[in-house]
Amino acid sequence: MRRTSPRVVLVHTATFRQARQLVPLLIPVAAVVGLDDGVGTIVLLAAAVTALSLAAAALSWWRFGYADGPTAVVVTRGLLARSVRTVPNDRIRGVEVETPPLHRLLGLVRVRIDAAAGSVGADEEELLVDGVPRAEGDRLRARLLAHRPATAPPPGDDGQPEPPEEEELTRSDPRWLLYAPLVGSYLVVPLAAVGTLFRFLDELPDAVIPAVPGPDVSDPRVLVAALVAAVPLLALAAVVGAAVVNWRFRLLRRGGSLVAVRGLLTRRHTELEVDRIRGGTLSEGLGMRWVGAARVNALVTGLGQASRRGQLLPLGPRTTAVALLDRLVEDPGPLTAHPPAALRRRLVRSLASGVLVTALGVAVAAALGWWWAPVPGVVLTVLGVPAGTGRYRALGHRAGPRSFSVRSGWLVREQAVLQRRAVVGWKVRQSPFQRRAGLATVVACVGAGSGGYAAVDMAAADVAAFTAAASSGTWARGLRSWTDRPGRRPAAGPRAARRGPLP
Amino acid sequence: MTAETAAPVRDPAWSLSRSAIGLWVTEGVLGTLSSGVLVAVFLLLVPDDGPVPVLRWVLPALVLGYAVVAIGVRPWVRYRVHRWEVTEEAVYTLTGWLTRTWTLVPISRIQTVDVTRGVFQQLFGLASVAVLTASSQGTVRVPHLEADVAQRVADDLAHRAELVRDEVT
Repeated sequence: MRRTSPRVVLVHTATFRQARQLVPLLIPVAAVVGLDDGVGTIVLLAAAVTALSLAAAALSWWRFGYADGPTAVVVTRGLLARSVRTVPNDRIRGVEVETPPLHRLLGLVRVRIDAAAGSVGADEEELLVDGVPRAEGDRLRARLLAHRPATAPPPGDDGQPEPPEEEELTRSDPRWLLYAPLVGSYLVVPLAAVGTLFRFLDELPDAVIPAVPGPDVSDPRVLVAALVAAVPLLALAAVVGAAVVNWRFRLLRRGGSLVAVRGLLTRRHTELEVDRIRGGTLSEGLGMRWVGAARVNALVTGLGQASRRGQLLPLGPRTTAVALLDRLVEDPGPLTAHPPAALRRRLVRSLASGVLVTALGVAVAAALGWWWAPVPGVVLTVLGVPAGTGRYRALGHRAGPRSFSVRSGWLVREQAVLQRRAVVGWKVRQSPFQRRAGLATVVACVGAGSGGYAAVDMAAADVAAFTAAASSGTWARGLRSWTDRPGRRPAAGPRAARRGPLP
Repeated sequence: MTAETAAPVRDPAWSLSRSAIGLWVTEGVLGTLSSGVLVAVFLLLVPDDGPVPVLRWVLPALVLGYAVVAIGVRPWVRYRVHRWEVTEEAVYTLTGWLTRTWTLVPISRIQTVDVTRGVFQQLFGLASVAVLTASSQGTVRVPHLEADVAQRVADDLAHRAELVRDEVT
């Protein structure tokens, strides 16, 4: 059993890693004791918290052990209830080595080991070894990944594996960070931070908060000024947030793995097996489409929903993204648009809510005489037209010789390109409305990413041909009607069938 | 023939066990009984000039309507709707009354095959088969087969999956 470096106790003491859950407890304690007694109480409290944190960190360091055996990784931890987790080496899907700033100061790294997620229970599929020296982290990564037979490099003269050849696939340009204000997920982060700050202020006892005379919020000019000031601040925060996460992003191919390195404060080092990549997604949000930006995620079997691990291009120009996706999986060719009936369906769907709100507004206007009541409904309805046509334009599917592709979405348009062998099942759905319009939705079930990628509202007549062309082998021909392939009609029933040709 | 031509794919060949109708009728009867008891308690305990007098006849009417649908209609509709089939290469099911869903899973990608027998299923000699793959969406469920058929199908599928398993899913 190996131990982590004792230096990690320092890191965890400083970051209150174990003692963090005590902080909400301490605030009411501080409120009761009162902070009026002066500096003495505060110093005492701070000392007590630090001592607690040190004790907790030392305890959890003492109770933590790991071992990388010949067949499995074992991690033991837990203060009172011991937990032992064993992950067989062939279930390991990736190893990530990250270096937060404090760790870097003390020469430590944090190693995350991704285990394959089954079809049930995708959470807790990760082992964390926090605080080993850098050399030990590199050794662990190399060793765990070398166990995989498909990617093991031939040993060199000194018995050590030769460093495999490297090829750089992408290197981010700092200018790409300017796309960040147009990406929803980067805008959410500063907003969430503001929200957390407010919640924290709410929890503080009133005595601690100095009474600052704020501006009168009810004045509309103040509101407008605040909004105008907020827009550039928000944009700046999004750029800073993107820089912290994605600074100097590089994607390399090293032997049989793809290695992504990124991060400003915390350098993150993610490794994916090329053999397990089944395809990728190209996503473009509404704002990103304006400026021609996109992101690329790899779809890796066994990684489940761990989308951050699969990110191959967090944010970049569309042309770079498309070129990268082409290297992952063969481009099946231009997408086939869906029939006009699909456009009608998208329009009906996006207009329905607007029309409903308008009708309500008209009723309110008639009853109460508020002339402006229908306005929001009308605005919604008018906005529904571009939304509906946009959704329709996003729809498409195409089966190529070795791969296939489906695309949908308007706020975030996502195109999935997958190898034919990735498909583990087909699901065809048809609602009564779709039946009347001669449409159907086809979901390719995949053991990677979100589990299923849909071609929404394709022509019902094309379904059998598409599914047969987009899956490897002959099994998907089972969806075609028997009249197309005479002589292969199955036995009359399950009882007859089981006496039939089965082995 | 319009309904035939609008169907995107063919329908699986086999229907469930006819005993399933009995099971669904039993479930409907039990559901009706339990809601009937609740309504009776309500009628007994709440005085005539209760908060909402309309409820005194709306609730029994609702229970009656539920009974007609759950006992007289739904079992037969469900029996007609569910279809399944095991071919040489795949498992194939059709479910859903209004929105219809066809699911096809190749035997080479099957990861586990489960057979479950609930309390009522045991009374009617039935069992359900669930076929799981690596994808959370690619699960095929066949409810209410005769227990021996379900077991045979599950054993057969598990056996064939082992022979042709595609390890790289």
